Amino acid sequence: MKRLNRLLLGAFCTGMLVSCANSEGAEGDTTITLWYWHRALDDQVIKDVEAEFPGVTINAQKVGGEYKTKLHTALIAGNGPDIVAMNDWASEYLQYSDKFVNLNDYGVEEIKEDYLDWKWNLAIDPETDTMIALPIDTGPTVLYYRADLFEEAGLPSEPDEVAEQINSWDAYVKAGEQMKERTGVFMFDNLQRTYLQNIEQQSDKYFTTDEEYIGDGGSVREAWDMAMKVNELQLTPRIADGERNAALNNGSIASFIGAVWEANILKDAAPDTAGEWRITAAPGGAGNNGGSFLGVLESSEEKDLAVEITKALVSTESQKEHYLGVELFPSTIETIESEDLYQPDPFFGDQVVMEVYAEAAKDVPLTYYGNLYGPLRSYFEDELTLVERGNKDPDTAWQDVQTKISRELSRQTNE
Amino acid sequence: MSRPVPNSSSDRVEAMSKPSLWSEIWKHRILYLFISPFFLLFLIFGLFPILFSLYLSFHSWSGLGDMTFVGFSQFNYLLTEPVFWQSVGNTFAIWFLSSVPMLFFALVIAFLLNLPRLRMRGAYRTMFFITNVTSIVAVAIIFETIFSNQYGLLNYVLSLIGIGSLEWMNSSFLIKVVIASMVVWRFVGYNAIIYLAGLQSIPKSLYEAAVIDGANKIQIFFRITIPLLRPIILFTVIMTTIGSMQIFTEPEVLLGLSGGVGGAGMTMTLYMYNEGFINSNYGYASAVSWMMFIIIGAFSFINWKLVQRA
Repeated sequence: MKRLNRLLLGAFCTGMLVSCANSEGAEGDTTITLWYWHRALDDQVIKDVEAEFPGVTINAQKVGGEYKTKLHTALIAGNGPDIVAMNDWASEYLQYSDKFVNLNDYGVEEIKEDYLDWKWNLAIDPETDTMIALPIDTGPTVLYYRADLFEEAGLPSEPDEVAEQINSWDAYVKAGEQMKERTGVFMFDNLQRTYLQNIEQQSDKYFTTDEEYIGDGGSVREAWDMAMKVNELQLTPRIADGERNAALNNGSIASFIGAVWEANILKDAAPDTAGEWRITAAPGGAGNNGGSFLGVLESSEEKDLAVEITKALVSTESQKEHYLGVELFPSTIETIESEDLYQPDPFFGDQVVMEVYAEAAKDVPLTYYGNLYGPLRSYFEDELTLVERGNKDPDTAWQDVQTKISRELSRQTNE
Repeated sequence: MSRPVPNSSSDRVEAMSKPSLWSEIWKHRILYLFISPFFLLFLIFGLFPILFSLYLSFHSWSGLGDMTFVGFSQFNYLLTEPVFWQSVGNTFAIWFLSSVPMLFFALVIAFLLNLPRLRMRGAYRTMFFITNVTSIVAVAIIFETIFSNQYGLLNYVLSLIGIGSLEWMNSSFLIKVVIASMVVWRFVGYNAIIYLAGLQSIPKSLYEAAVIDGANKIQIFFRITIPLLRPIILFTVIMTTIGSMQIFTEPEVLLGLSGGVGGAGMTMTLYMYNEGFINSNYGYASAVSWMMFIIIGAFSFINWKLVQRA
């Protein structure tokens, strides 16, 4: 009996030990761990970069599910991967810049000129001047529109003419009225987008760089009023999000302002309308939706190496491969201008779409999102949905969203 | 011939009646070792998080910054937060809209499955239970296409039979109906199986006696079947209550994190998830979850009392 005891205890303990002992890597080989999500980077680029660093293994892990929550947990634990990809929510982590390597200490000034300035700027904490990540891709916004429907409504249909005549939000709304009158088709898909894309075109959003709230007036109020005008004229089809694809495919929606990456979604959503779509400069100017970053964690034990690998992963050459491989729109100017990306696209009636995207990418304004951009954006979206689909009074909706925000801000300062 | 009683006997009895707990555990250590994995896992992943969330609910913590003690201010904020109370109301509305028809239909189905002349009972049982093991995400996506505002299957059918189409996803009430219908669809079979087991446990002799006494079908149902099923009904009511109070996946997949138009499908759990994992207000989210604990506990208690008395 006693022997059996010992045996079992022994087996138990060895089991525990074995499960802990395997974390050491192969000898003499440095391993850099990278967290990203599917299509956040082109897998081939990661392999190519690994080959550039002899004796280094890049352990690239596609982290599925709630990526941001997992990253947040790793940061709390202070024991995460070396390199992490971050989506457009990277701006929320500027307040925790001490968890990231300050790239300004690693000579990134040298490559700054290669990148779009507004994108570069988004990864810098204005308070401490810490740069927490390097840009991967961007999402400049353009106007997607149906040339056939525009023609039917008596509007210009060639991209240049559209950009010239529909050059402001007022002109856009006016064209929307004409569209509805002549064809019965809706110019806008929903109010949320109408508002959001307007905000994205502005350099002033909800906060100043000192985190002072300015969303109760200024450009936010103007964007809100413009959306209310669209609503009053009933230029949106009042559909749920899940129905948007069907509406695009059956020709109920004549245009929308969207980021570069929405072209592929549109191609999948509306195959029946192939050849009828065009893109041109968005009325009100260019904005940006989405786009990710690559940073190095302060907890990394190989900071120098990790920073060098990060630089290589987002270099001008790599960005071209990211674009060709997984359609990540570049943040490096030279890549955007490289000639072989300028190809006619049959879905857009053989238009050379890169010309429009490239112009938009250079026009995006410098901006600051602020720590609370995420919750505030959803407060506005909730009320806009209520106005559009729940017939809520616009003035009450504006009051309600401001009340919600002041409660949220009071809670944050109490802490 | 009387045998002398050993002196030590009374001492021994005393020692045996008062064994130290630790020495007992040590004596049976090998058995405790075998059952220890459950307790260890429960301590680490069950008890500790529960206690920590209580501690957390009196603090303000975003995960990365410092944890600051704020007393009851998280609860204060919670009690004055309209969105939270809206989510409580939504949860109860969905509970009512789903559990009442669900338990009714479950009883009907169980009754039909229990008919003596029914053939292939096993096949029916399996069919009714399959809905319960189907992925909720897939179900939510299917329901979304059925209840779409403009291009939905149901609206198409309604328009065919001359009834105008409804904006299911725009109306605060209809959103709740859609979510409730998903819950009903998923759990009606599960509850029917439980009721069926209950029905089959009622002795046949009671029914035979009732028939001899001249009772009709309705009398038999209300005087024999329902009273004898009461513990089973109590069980399903409590389980349904606890389950419905924690509805999360259905609204999350169907309507997104915002809970649909005007947050009409925002349930308590979805609200807690948003605050904790989307906005990183861990202290506040813990306070929400403890509030949920109190609400669900109180509500289950009331339910239990009511069903027991009825």
